[in-house]
Amino acid sequence: MELPVIWANYISISGFAFLALLVWLIPKRLIFTGTKDTSRWRDIRVWATALILLQLTVYLNL
Amino acid sequence: MHPLDFGIIVAYLALIVFVGLRLSGKVKTAKDFFLAGRSLSWYVIGLSIIGTNIGADSYVGAAGNAYKVGIAQANFEWIGAIPAMILASLVFIPLYWKARVYSIPEYLGQRYSQSVRVLAAGITCIVAVFAIGVALWAIALTLQTYLGWPIWVGIMVTGTVVGLYSIAGGLAAVAFTDTLQVCIMFLGGLVIVGLGFSEAGGVSGFAATLVQENPTHLQAYLPADHEEFPWPAVILGLGIVLSPAYWCGGQAILQRTLGARSQWDASAGMMFAALGKSFVPLLVVFPGLLALVMHANIEYPDMALPWVIKNVLPPGISGLMFIAIIAALQSTIDSGINSTSLLITRDIRHVLMKNPNPQSDLVVGRYLTLIILLLAMCIAPLISRMGGIYTFIQTILSLFQGPMLALLLLGALTRRPTPRAGLITLLTGVPLSAVILASGVNMLYVAFISFVYSLAALWIISSFTTPTTADLSKLTYFPWKRL
Repeated sequence: MELPVIWANYISISGFAFLALLVWLIPKRLIFTGTKDTSRWRDIRVWATALILLQLTVYLNL
Repeated sequence: MHPLDFGIIVAYLALIVFVGLRLSGKVKTAKDFFLAGRSLSWYVIGLSIIGTNIGADSYVGAAGNAYKVGIAQANFEWIGAIPAMILASLVFIPLYWKARVYSIPEYLGQRYSQSVRVLAAGITCIVAVFAIGVALWAIALTLQTYLGWPIWVGIMVTGTVVGLYSIAGGLAAVAFTDTLQVCIMFLGGLVIVGLGFSEAGGVSGFAATLVQENPTHLQAYLPADHEEFPWPAVILGLGIVLSPAYWCGGQAILQRTLGARSQWDASAGMMFAALGKSFVPLLVVFPGLLALVMHANIEYPDMALPWVIKNVLPPGISGLMFIAIIAALQSTIDSGINSTSLLITRDIRHVLMKNPNPQSDLVVGRYLTLIILLLAMCIAPLISRMGGIYTFIQTILSLFQGPMLALLLLGALTRRPTPRAGLITLLTGVPLSAVILASGVNMLYVAFISFVYSLAALWIISSFTTPTTADLSKLTYFPWKRL
């Protein structure tokens, strides 16, 4: 059976989108364990989302 | 060699030895030596993780593979790293912090049994010594290409320099020199990218030449029947098994997160590393493509990067880039010897000896660091007979990453696995991988098959063996309130 290469891009994109959903299911209190500073920029779920968007851009274009 | 290049190289070597020796004054206990006294901040951790990761297998080796297969090699930095790094940052690092462990085998020891701890530590140590040997060989190869030094001289000089700062300063010296080394790598890499595009007639000229002569070299994935990197194997083997096993269970990588000053710094450090990792293909993949576009006259693909340094970069900058490669490889070696020393000192010695004296951990750790380095220096000359650098490391990893990941995943996310099931799975999973690999199956498929086998074995055997008596609330990850 022939497996087109473009399927790999679709799978990668779906995987990253699913991961973005999972990231936001993690409670905020766990993200800030061990630190008193709870500023928005220190919420690493936001960092993760930015990273995932970057990856989506790559696999949408290559 | 241009005097300017020579001056830059000497200044760099003097600087890292100075930093290492200066930090040695702060090392008073084993915790200082192995975990930097739990003092590392998130940006040092992030840069150090990148430094440890970009090593023999992803600098010289990845450039060589990019020369052969194109930008698909970047999957090892993207789909083969980023999702697993996010998982490590948000799930596994908080779990290891909650368990207050020094190492991943120590976590497995708490979750399963001391036998699993020793076995996991033993396997990790064997692989690490080979990886350090590979890094030493890669440095020696670079020194030979660039300076004309014999292989054995390159190995001796590198071993001496790395040994000096690693043995004296421990993880703190390793992390801070890694940070410096990664800054140099990115600086050197960006210069190569700029000059490379300039030589090739800009981005569009570069891409046009590349695609004209190598039609698949700008595709993210290669066809399903590709000999080395078929896309189903890349997604199943690399994306689902090898990458999570490396980023969520790799001792050399995770050790600096266990040395963080807080759990947040540990998680943020890994996430910061993932951000940097997204741009690593510019450093490790681009030079391979550039060598191809410029029709480099090289004997084998692993020489692509040294060729670019020698033929594209001007004096001064080529010295800097040369340092960037050496730095990348050194950071792999220093992290490897420090983490391997930790595993033998605590996870093997503490378990197997009847009355281990924790007070002597620092002295034992330093001696072991030296012994591991010497052993790797002996192995290094043999590496050239084993094929491409990257493939060699990945082949070794594919043997045990499947079983290790199964133990970590099921152990961390469910309460079902029992100590005996963990041990049996590990003892049977690794030989099974070796048998499948010996039958000629692609190493990425081997990793996936052994992972699936290990998940099934762990799940089934757990149903008729005795559950653990350990407090699983500290050893499993469940972020929501139980109903």
